[in-house]
Amino acid sequence: MDKPQLIEHLHEAVTYTVYDTKWVPLSAKFVVLGSKPNGHGIMDIYELNQDKLVKVKSVEKKVAFKCGTFGAASLRNRHMAIGDFEGRLQVLDMEQPDLPVYNVKAHSGIINTIDAIGGTQIDCGAPEIVTGSRDGAVKVWDIRQGQAPVVDMSPPPQMGDGINNSAGRRDCWAVAFGNTYNAEERIVAAGYDNGDLKIFDLRTLSVRWEATMKNGICGLEFDRRDIPMNKLAVTTLEGGLLVFDMRTQHPTKGFSYVEERNAGRSVGTNGVISGPKATVWVVRHLPQNRDLFLTGGGTGSIRLWQYEYPDRRVVDDSDGNKLGVAGALNMVSAATISTQPVHCFDWHPDKLGLAVCGAFDQSVRVLITTKLNTY
Amino acid sequence: MENEKKKSLLERYNIPLHYLDFAHVEKCTNAREMEKIVQVLRSGQEGHYPDLQRCAEEKLKALKPDSKLFRYEEQIKQSNILDKTELKPILDWTDAIKTKDSALNELKKVKQNLNLPSVRKLSKIDVDAESKTEAPKPAPKAPTQPNTKNKEARIKSTDYSKWDKYDPDEEILRMDLDEERDQEQVEKIIATRKKSVATDDLRSEKDSLYERLQAQLKNLSQLEREQFAERHRLRGNENFKAKEYENAIEEYNCSIIYDPENAVHAYNNRAVAHFKLKKYFSAISDCQACLQLDPMNVKAHLRMAEAHNAEGRHLESLSIYKKVLDFEPGNAIATKAVEKLTSMLGEVAPSSATRLKIEEIDPPQLKTSEAKKEVVKSATTVVKKTEPPIKDYDLAELVKPNRMVKSNLVSAAEALGNKLQANKGGAPKKPQSPPSTPKEAMLRLPQDNLNTSNKLLIQEI
Repeated sequence: MDKPQLIEHLHEAVTYTVYDTKWVPLSAKFVVLGSKPNGHGIMDIYELNQDKLVKVKSVEKKVAFKCGTFGAASLRNRHMAIGDFEGRLQVLDMEQPDLPVYNVKAHSGIINTIDAIGGTQIDCGAPEIVTGSRDGAVKVWDIRQGQAPVVDMSPPPQMGDGINNSAGRRDCWAVAFGNTYNAEERIVAAGYDNGDLKIFDLRTLSVRWEATMKNGICGLEFDRRDIPMNKLAVTTLEGGLLVFDMRTQHPTKGFSYVEERNAGRSVGTNGVISGPKATVWVVRHLPQNRDLFLTGGGTGSIRLWQYEYPDRRVVDDSDGNKLGVAGALNMVSAATISTQPVHCFDWHPDKLGLAVCGAFDQSVRVLITTKLNTY
Repeated sequence: MENEKKKSLLERYNIPLHYLDFAHVEKCTNAREMEKIVQVLRSGQEGHYPDLQRCAEEKLKALKPDSKLFRYEEQIKQSNILDKTELKPILDWTDAIKTKDSALNELKKVKQNLNLPSVRKLSKIDVDAESKTEAPKPAPKAPTQPNTKNKEARIKSTDYSKWDKYDPDEEILRMDLDEERDQEQVEKIIATRKKSVATDDLRSEKDSLYERLQAQLKNLSQLEREQFAERHRLRGNENFKAKEYENAIEEYNCSIIYDPENAVHAYNNRAVAHFKLKKYFSAISDCQACLQLDPMNVKAHLRMAEAHNAEGRHLESLSIYKKVLDFEPGNAIATKAVEKLTSMLGEVAPSSATRLKIEEIDPPQLKTSEAKKEVVKSATTVVKKTEPPIKDYDLAELVKPNRMVKSNLVSAAEALGNKLQANKGGAPKKPQSPPSTPKEAMLRLPQDNLNTSNKLLIQEI
């Protein structure tokens, strides 16, 4: 077999609902964020020790944790930014988690999603954190700035009688930074429950583009945050997986994309898809190769994809405008790892093929993927 | 009965029953139809025919190898199916990374004064309002503009005098013009957007970026520098794979700036990228830089030979290939290339003979520039006064064409310049500015070239 194989290296059952798992950069440790049955937040730090997992630290807080990231942390301090169920954003030092480095009431509802940038990129703008929340707002934070967001992308206040206004309120499910290739350029992509995808340009402070998917957007990721926008992967409810070519924006058609339906379902053993349409919860690009990425699906399956560029990425349409050409998606490998959705996944930034993922079956798995270097 | 509730696959796909037959499968050329047949067979709704199914699958594989029907999903395997040798790198890695981890923890106590960019000015993006004024959606925009105009110039239904003047053709023309103007605006916006990216004066921007990176370097520990360098190198590889060679070169540049001591791979990869852009000169100098760090690097040798070959310096190329064969006798690429080149060039042995002679004279010259100067001077005098050595070189001259000698000289000068540059710090900041220290040695070459004969030049190298 020449194709990559997905292999479960270690399995750890926990006593709480896992919401996010993230590797600590340049270490064999990873952080598990979750919610205990009593609603308390829990943060466990595990370390790989030869072929065992050792729990290094466990921290419990009043409010359940939803999501976290190391993206704005430098290699030296490695602080983690965490969003919780009550809309609080805190930045924690792994050594002294009791005393947050930064703490702000960021949103009125749960912080669903978080992304950060600028920690390890030198000369590419300030370290910033972006959060997306159930209150519909997307906010960008700079921890040197005090208690106000540096950029606020809230929906306008609702008009109406108070009965209907909750229905119109959007819920932001996914955010991602991108296009940060110099000190000025920066883009935030946000996905909402109604399928809206918005691309905010932080340099010009405007909405650069928006589109609507068929279903609510669960996961978003640029293939690289710190290069001129190349590709954006979007995953949705009911199994949609779309990869946009972000190099070329057509004045009317926007960005071209390639779509894969049913990416959240298991393909079964003989390629005949059966069972209900399942959400694609998460998409993560391999840090060592931007054209490989993994999706985690609602049926507990993970799939490894390869994006193939077309021969020509740009064509001229009849009006003489540039139109991007999307490539093709090629499923490299698939495996069922759980009976419950796999909703968080993180490749190790420094070790090719090593990953940690969490599923709703209250367990955390360390995975190894072989033969990735052949791509 | 089932069919009453739900159509069978056969009916849904509209495939006649007689298609499920070896003969039809054999001659079918429509991949889409084949996929349907395979799906029907796999579903077992029409009964199980293992042989036919296998045959159909094979046919489909031939017609459409990347069909979605060949996607399989497996239960996840446990790590015990992995070979010990496959698992070992990961276990070793956990040990290696732990030392790095603890080193970083030590570094944590050291204050890092990176001059971070200032905090962004507080601002808001109005989600809904912006989307209406923003350009890329001309469709909703078109109706809004005419609407506002219509309000001003709307003709009341009872205002007959105005209706008499109303010219539908003119109105249509106006609408067309409006549309055109919208389109123009869209284009303008796109143009400005492009400009903001393009007019950044890429060249100077890059130079200043490299300078700033250099300035940042002293704030970083070796560990961090390695880390950043590696990241940029991988970035470069990605760009290379996507055939964006310019971007790849940029990434490799950054990688080299961060960690010049361990930049073997970065130099090597940059050489290939340069080669792909047909910048053979840069490719050669990158190979040389790489060889300075790792003299036995086979890839660098091969690439340098290839670049020389592409430049038309077959002789150079051949000698490098031979060198590769010296320390790696079985190298397939080198053997092939040597065969090809020797058949192309014919007699080559004499040229290597002259090279040997040159090398004999070389060592005392290269020791110091002072000594070199003297040797050169004495050499010139010797040549002028005595006859025998001239004869010696004349022989070589007869065998070796003049052109070759010249190119030999150029590459040697390059090598020299490159060596000096690399000693200066390895950063390829200003390749065009000649190194300043060894003026005598560098400048003498062209002068001699003018004043004396070619034979002297051979001697000096």
